[in-house]
Amino acid sequence: MPLSRRTLLKSAAAGAVSTWTPAPGLSLFAAAAQPSERPLLVIVHLRGGADGLNLVSPATDSDFIAARTSELRVAADGPGAGYALANGPDPKIDFRLHAAAGGIAELYQSGVLAIVHAAGLTDGTRSHFVATDMIERGIADEASLARIRDGWLARYLQIDPAARAEAGAISAAGAVSGELVGWKPALAVPDLAGGLAPAGGPQAHEVLTRLYASAGDPVCDAGRAALAAMATIDRAVPRDARGAVIPYSPEAGASYDTAAEFGRPLKTLAQLIKMDLGLDVATVDIGGWDTHEYQPGRFRNAVTRLSNGLAAFWNDTTRYHDRMVVVTVSEFGRRLRSNRSMGTDHGRAGVMMVLGAKVKGGRFHGGWPGLSNARLDEGVDLAVVTDYRQVLTEILRHRGALPASHVFPGYVEKGPLGLFGA
Amino acid sequence: MAEPSMVSDPASPSYVLARLGYGPKPGDAAAFQRQGLAGWLDQQLRPPHGDDADTAAALARARLRIVYEGVDDMRPLATLDQPIEKLWPLIAEHDKHAPQERRRPLLETISSTLIRAVHSRYQLREVMCSFWHDHFNVDAWGAEPVAVALPSYDRDVIREHCLGNFRTLLESVATSTAMLYYLSNRSSRAGAANENYGRELFELHTLGRDAYLNDKYDRWREVPGALKGHPAGYIDEDVYESARAFTGWTVEDGSAIDGGRKLPATGRFAYVESWHDGYQKRVLATDFNEFQPPLADGKRVLDLVADHPATARFLCSKLVRRLVADDPPPRLVAAAAATWSQNRRAPDQIAKVVRAIVLSPEFIEAQRAKIRRPFALVAGFARATGLDLMPTEPLINAMAGAGQRLFGYPDPTGLADDRDHFIGTGAMRVRWQLVLALALNQWATGEWSPDAAMPPSIETVGEAAQFWLDTLTGQAPPDQVAAILGGMGVMQDQPLGPRQAPDSDKRLSLVAAYAAMSPAFQTS
Repeated sequence: MPLSRRTLLKSAAAGAVSTWTPAPGLSLFAAAAQPSERPLLVIVHLRGGADGLNLVSPATDSDFIAARTSELRVAADGPGAGYALANGPDPKIDFRLHAAAGGIAELYQSGVLAIVHAAGLTDGTRSHFVATDMIERGIADEASLARIRDGWLARYLQIDPAARAEAGAISAAGAVSGELVGWKPALAVPDLAGGLAPAGGPQAHEVLTRLYASAGDPVCDAGRAALAAMATIDRAVPRDARGAVIPYSPEAGASYDTAAEFGRPLKTLAQLIKMDLGLDVATVDIGGWDTHEYQPGRFRNAVTRLSNGLAAFWNDTTRYHDRMVVVTVSEFGRRLRSNRSMGTDHGRAGVMMVLGAKVKGGRFHGGWPGLSNARLDEGVDLAVVTDYRQVLTEILRHRGALPASHVFPGYVEKGPLGLFGA
Repeated sequence: MAEPSMVSDPASPSYVLARLGYGPKPGDAAAFQRQGLAGWLDQQLRPPHGDDADTAAALARARLRIVYEGVDDMRPLATLDQPIEKLWPLIAEHDKHAPQERRRPLLETISSTLIRAVHSRYQLREVMCSFWHDHFNVDAWGAEPVAVALPSYDRDVIREHCLGNFRTLLESVATSTAMLYYLSNRSSRAGAANENYGRELFELHTLGRDAYLNDKYDRWREVPGALKGHPAGYIDEDVYESARAFTGWTVEDGSAIDGGRKLPATGRFAYVESWHDGYQKRVLATDFNEFQPPLADGKRVLDLVADHPATARFLCSKLVRRLVADDPPPRLVAAAAATWSQNRRAPDQIAKVVRAIVLSPEFIEAQRAKIRRPFALVAGFARATGLDLMPTEPLINAMAGAGQRLFGYPDPTGLADDRDHFIGTGAMRVRWQLVLALALNQWATGEWSPDAAMPPSIETVGEAAQFWLDTLTGQAPPDQVAAILGGMGVMQDQPLGPRQAPDSDKRLSLVAAYAAMSPAFQTS
């Protein structure tokens, strides 16, 4: 078995080796980094199909200006002008970040955030739910959906000798995100404000432990897993002398309040990170992007939450910057031409962002197809130039060796974007 | 001679009443045994219009607290039977009303939904209303007009047609204020139509995502069967064309139509001819001539999608998933779809399909196959214990914490039905908390005496644990009885103590709560 001696020893010490069974015939990550060494991966889902063209606008592109009402574009000048972005993908075009994205602009300018525009699914679906399923499962063809039910992160963890059984993979949400479906130890923890012990105190915990003792039934298994995870995490929740949970206070003056409902899962995530339980991969959702009507106000709100949230999270976790990569993903972008509800309908390519101290930030990666009719997908939407899996592949590789064909079956790399390193 | 069969009636009352309802009340199981499954089902599928007397009385005595500046009342449910124009001033005269008043129709609808689930004799109707609310999901927590339109959506659309005809239900949804706001067709205009409703009509309401042939995009002739007028599925062009067909379907929201005319502000459905795109269209390989009479384009789209065989398959697969198992057995889906299509003009089409599904061998074999969603946990606990549940905001919020915010699912897919969605770490924790808090009345949902609910013959804690496990789950395995007693540190034969004493009442409440926290109560 190609496990290094060091990996074995460390895993055995952590008591984790028995939980891992290698899939037959797979070459394992011989050089897999330990969770403590490799960066924590945070996936931020922009659910609903975020309008990449309104988040990062090709502000001076004449095709763009002709196709869209000015309320749904970021302006290059005037009072509502957006943030100028150096190092865009096309030197003839002034790419501008939405005016409500001040936090993201700062991260970009400080060189830790990279933008990949015209990114997305190569499959032509304009369905939220088909697109979301494909992106969560790491595939790009509908035929595979019936065959491949696991999430891509689950497949990654299944063959990862360093994967942790306990509190290593968490969705800061009510349910485990699709990327982690199929990885049994994955947890869904939406909130830690009241700790994570069961209501009813030690007696309830004892009764539940006995009620859920028998193995084999999925609900019993889930109950047992929940009790174990609750105990592990609850032990690490800071409490005062009387046992009450100490309210979390972010570092460096960061405030999650300005991120509205996006703040809560991010705060939960920051708390989990600082418990040093060995969190290795995490997912968090932000909704509000399905802007079929009244986009100017709704989109501004969504961008404000996203930008403030990412900035607060980054500032709050300074000690972990070298050990963290955050990536944003959305199921698709939106139609180039706006509708008469002052909104945009489902489109194709969107924008992805990658944040991390080791990221080659402050610049765009990947190409820009242009918006002339001939360059559009089916004549209506921004075409996909960068497969979303290329971005994810480079992030995983940055974390250690990667059997990409297992995580993203059928994906053939088209040449690196160079998101990390030289 | 063979031994007499020891197999109990395959349709055990605790299973059927929990799967096709919210679980048995005391006495329900015996009544079900007398009727048998088919007799019970026939009665359930033909409920009288309106509420039965017990439910009506429970609704009438319900009080829901409302608090804002200068107001702190326990107020009866007053919005449920109001026509939409009576509630619409909450939107039209927005600033005259406190936010708590604007949210009131939503909270009252949540309350009535819970009260009906707990009290109604027609349990299957409640389950079907829940199914259609999920299928034709709207998010009343996300937009105030949807919240204000919710009583009429629940009453005149979902409840009215939940066992009726699908095509009729579909048009009722399409013209409902709640849906016109939620999927934004209200603002769709000729010129560049809003595709939101059109897309979800195909993908979520009728043909389903499996019938979306996105690789064909606008090449409609390449869709199998299209040239014979029977396309196998739909393409993006069908979505675009349908969006055009529904332009002008809107709401009387006070908008200006032109310089001289304005819609009244009633919240009712309206068709505005000058907002409609009247030119020729092609939907599902069917040509629509230009300039049809009012509403004709949209109704024709509804005819086409309602009659499509993919709709029969998609809807039946969802019905089977809800009523039978997370992985719908293909034979049963096909059989149900045949019933669906044969009865597509029948006024009781949906009831007939439900009947075909329930009276199938697959239904009998699917015991314990479904997770109880948080709402069903709450309603089931109240029914079994005789708790006269009074909905409160902490309860509503806790159900949301367990994964079910009633009428508040943001995505048009509606809340999932499958087990895995509801058994994550945080969700399990809140599931257990829900029944514990109800049993101990921690959220002012109603005082409850477990002692009064138990027969006087029960004298020990062990017998009480057996009684509650059996009452709640239809079984009381020794290991589960032992788990409750062992966890509480009491012996099987420990006497209950003086009846009605606060200490022993609390201990009994805990026994009932622990029985409801057991794995068996999590499924039906």
